[in-house]
Amino acid sequence: MITWLRTRIDSFLGQGDAAVTVPPMDGALSPNTRLDRADLIAQIPTPNDLAQGDATYVSSGNTVYRLNPAGAPEPFRHFAEPVTSLAAHGDQLAVGQPQHILLIHGSTQTTVPVQCPTALAFMGDTLIATQGSSTNAPAQWKHDLMQRGSSGAVWQVTPGSPPKPLATGLAWPNGIAITPDGIVIVESWRHRLIRLGQPNAVLADLPGYPARLSPAQNGWWLCIFAPRGQLVEFVLRERRYCTRMMAEIDPDNWLAPALSPPKSFLEPMMGGALRTHGFVKPWAPSNSYGLLVRLDARFRPVRSYHSRADGTRHGITAAVDLGTHVLVASHGGNAILSLEGDLP
Amino acid sequence: MIRDDLVRWRYRLIPNTVVGEILSKPWIDNAVPVLMLAVLLTVFGALVPNLLTLGNLGNLSQTVGEYLLMGLGLTIVVMAGGIDLSVGSVFALANLVIIALAGWAGLPMAVAIPVALLSGALIGLLNGILVGYLRLRAFLTTLVTLIVVRALVDSLLLSYSQDIGAAPIFSAFWDYLAFGTVYGMSVSFMTAVALAVAVHIVLTRLRPGWHIIAVGGSRRAAHNAGINVRRTVCLSYVASGTLAALAGVFYAARLMSLGAETGVGLEITILTAVVLGGTSLGGGRGSVVKTVLGVAIVVVVTNSLLRFNLPSGSSPLALGIILLLAVAIDVRWVKNKRKVLDQTYVAPTYFELPPLPDARRGAATPYAVNDHLATAEPIGLGLLDGPEDVILDADDNLYTGSRDGNILRLMAPDYTRVEPYVHIGGQPLGLAFDRAGNLVTCVAGMGLYMVRPNREVVKLSDETNRTVFSIIDDSRMRLADDLDIAPDGRVFFSEATIRYALHDWMIDALEGRGNGRIICYDPRDGTSRTVLPRLQFPNGICMVPDGQSFLYAETWGCRVSRYYFDGPKKGRTEVVIADLPGYPDNINRASDGTFWLAMIGMRTPAFDLSQRMPGFRRRMAMKVARDQWVFPNLNTGGVIKFDLTGQVLQSLWDGEGGSHPQVTSMREHKGWLYLGGIFNNRIGRIRLPDADQSWTSQSAYWGAPK
Repeated sequence: MITWLRTRIDSFLGQGDAAVTVPPMDGALSPNTRLDRADLIAQIPTPNDLAQGDATYVSSGNTVYRLNPAGAPEPFRHFAEPVTSLAAHGDQLAVGQPQHILLIHGSTQTTVPVQCPTALAFMGDTLIATQGSSTNAPAQWKHDLMQRGSSGAVWQVTPGSPPKPLATGLAWPNGIAITPDGIVIVESWRHRLIRLGQPNAVLADLPGYPARLSPAQNGWWLCIFAPRGQLVEFVLRERRYCTRMMAEIDPDNWLAPALSPPKSFLEPMMGGALRTHGFVKPWAPSNSYGLLVRLDARFRPVRSYHSRADGTRHGITAAVDLGTHVLVASHGGNAILSLEGDLP
Repeated sequence: MIRDDLVRWRYRLIPNTVVGEILSKPWIDNAVPVLMLAVLLTVFGALVPNLLTLGNLGNLSQTVGEYLLMGLGLTIVVMAGGIDLSVGSVFALANLVIIALAGWAGLPMAVAIPVALLSGALIGLLNGILVGYLRLRAFLTTLVTLIVVRALVDSLLLSYSQDIGAAPIFSAFWDYLAFGTVYGMSVSFMTAVALAVAVHIVLTRLRPGWHIIAVGGSRRAAHNAGINVRRTVCLSYVASGTLAALAGVFYAARLMSLGAETGVGLEITILTAVVLGGTSLGGGRGSVVKTVLGVAIVVVVTNSLLRFNLPSGSSPLALGIILLLAVAIDVRWVKNKRKVLDQTYVAPTYFELPPLPDARRGAATPYAVNDHLATAEPIGLGLLDGPEDVILDADDNLYTGSRDGNILRLMAPDYTRVEPYVHIGGQPLGLAFDRAGNLVTCVAGMGLYMVRPNREVVKLSDETNRTVFSIIDDSRMRLADDLDIAPDGRVFFSEATIRYALHDWMIDALEGRGNGRIICYDPRDGTSRTVLPRLQFPNGICMVPDGQSFLYAETWGCRVSRYYFDGPKKGRTEVVIADLPGYPDNINRASDGTFWLAMIGMRTPAFDLSQRMPGFRRRMAMKVARDQWVFPNLNTGGVIKFDLTGQVLQSLWDGEGGSHPQVTSMREHKGWLYLGGIFNNRIGRIRLPDADQSWTSQSAYWGAPK
């Protein structure tokens, strides 16, 4: 009864769970054009994940590329199904696919039955895997968001024994950080980072949907694959509209976050994104955005790299720190970028 | 879907524009006092016997008359941004003066009454000079006047009240003032009503009243506009003093009393009445009607409390509490009215578009998107701002409107030289040349205008017949959009929407209702009549060469229709294209006898779905910032060629939206197609190699130039 009343009041006043407000991008997240100015390493269609072991790997569609010593990607392995996530450790490679994970070690290949692996990370010889959803495939992430899904899980995969769940009931876990104090997981739909086994979020109220975490020198890189916006927050609360949209419209044309700037006139336009005098304003509301955040060792944002509404390097899904420079995968920009130097 | 049908009927039967439109009217400020009066009359009418009987009203009418007179004066002062607390003392002074002059001195009424009024006017003038010219604080100054005049009256009464009060007044006019009735109401009441009408006319219709409101609204702005602020303020106090004195005269006639209590605390009562009515203490906002309502409320309350036999002092206490409430409500109302209006004005309704034709690249339909317009040669790039429509004259010069209210002329042959042709003031949208070579244009926010070849600007029409029962005054034109001229000289022009002005025109898309209309201006008698009401953003208009009909595009309806204004089919409307893949704008003739149609944007499945869910759009307008509302996709546009059978022959797009994301108009001229865009900073032109290289729309309409 009280919950029902609270829901009504919240909905009337637009507060609590009914609030469609979005945290602003300020402080360490103040906008800039660093991603648009970053060096282009390679033009690869929809790069999805990056991993570094003995070599550096890039996944794109059904293919895993390996960077040659000059830094250019060369096709490494081709798979029958799309690659959804990637991790490397020494000469071991873990490849996530919609229905399972492949563990590749030299010429041996084992299959681990974890569905919808969205991110992978090695902890010594054990593999930690996030399962985005137990009902939707990785490509159906928009469906999972619009269904307000929270059926994700975290699995521990030890060679020779069945996978063991570390956590369940997560809203699209999509990134992993192995820290001395435990495992930190990215929960995309709840816009936060949590440490397994602890009640409080490590980092919450992000202005976008976070994706993978990767280690940096004395800190972390956090990829934000899409921005949050008032309109999408509102649509998420309009359950009837969501249901009909999912039933009647092609996901590319939904009122939903996107990985790339508008590609078609069939995609909806928000009023502020109107092209005037030949320009789209950089601060225009947008369903896609490019954002990479540098976190310190305690997961506090210290610096950020942006590609704004008028940019193209949107949908940042992965980053890997190579010491001298950082490689960044821009899914929407079809590009592997290099950010020179991790300056303080 | 059954649910869709229910929604459609619900929105068809219950117009949801009413709340927003009523809230946008100025008279809505009276709603609070009217409601309050109604509640009070109901409550006290039930509690107090005979409160609402005629006899009681007759008794009350004398008090009401006096209060109203003083209220009118105070309203004038408050509207001018001041306050007059001395009204109670002036009232007492006039009471003393008239009794002294008429009774004790025995002067005739023709002298005594003007002198009494003059005494009030003088006190008012004193206030006016102090506040208006010497710029003292109104509150303190009139508070001092209140005390000083009161002291003067008291000391005079102390010395002379025996002598003055003993002298009787014999005058028929005096008795008439006291006991006479007009239509059953007291003379003071009828005088007050007559003066209320007069003051209302002055405040709303005459220059001095407008000056008062302007000064109250903003002293500096009024000063900058050339208004003599000091004199206006001063005169408002004179008016207040005189009216208070007049009330004092009526009081004297009624009671013939020289009590020391006369008029004590009256300023609070009157102030309560004025503020309660809704006249803002901040100045510049108020009306006589509000004061009338306020006085009625105060009289009902005081009179009813009197009948309850409450202990003395309770009536002023009640009034004080009411005054406090009134001030609080006034502040909150002013602060929040705008917010409520913003949230309630957008009133979406159910609208279902026909299935979306496939316009994707490579589609098998004639709509398939391409990049033909991306290579258009830019004209006036960076020099233009919002060239909605373009037109060329016989010498190939190019004319277009601009957002700063000019019609610009770009000189042939290279169009690099731009000159302001005329300044009109509003943004010119549609353009057309008439038979005599006059440039006729639709100007947003202004109406239909004509520019003679000697650059003289002539207003043709800015109002049409008002729709019966419309809440918004739709006789005025808010958004005249495009026009065309029939062979007989009649001008048919579209008004895109009656609910939004130019800067908000896109919001009309969220409503999905027929808010626009097509109007006919007849130059033979200078009248304008609405010929087609309730259209969904009617935009382009183009005469069909048969001289009996025209084509018009409804932007949000994604339709092109043909309307017969003459001939055997007169009055009929036929849909020519029912299901465009995007939003049509202007229509113009092509050299091969077909028509060009500009497309300002494209339909998107997500917006089309929201058109079938009006509640979704209403909540979006309430909860989401305007910048982030979902709109039709206006970042891809183009031009379509079609014939009268509705067959689409060709389409030219700017698929990436790099140079012509929204095409609002196009004009074929000597083998070129010129493109305009309301959000663009350029005009584009592309070659039409297959077109008649000598064809101009001018000669097609009016014959070869002489």
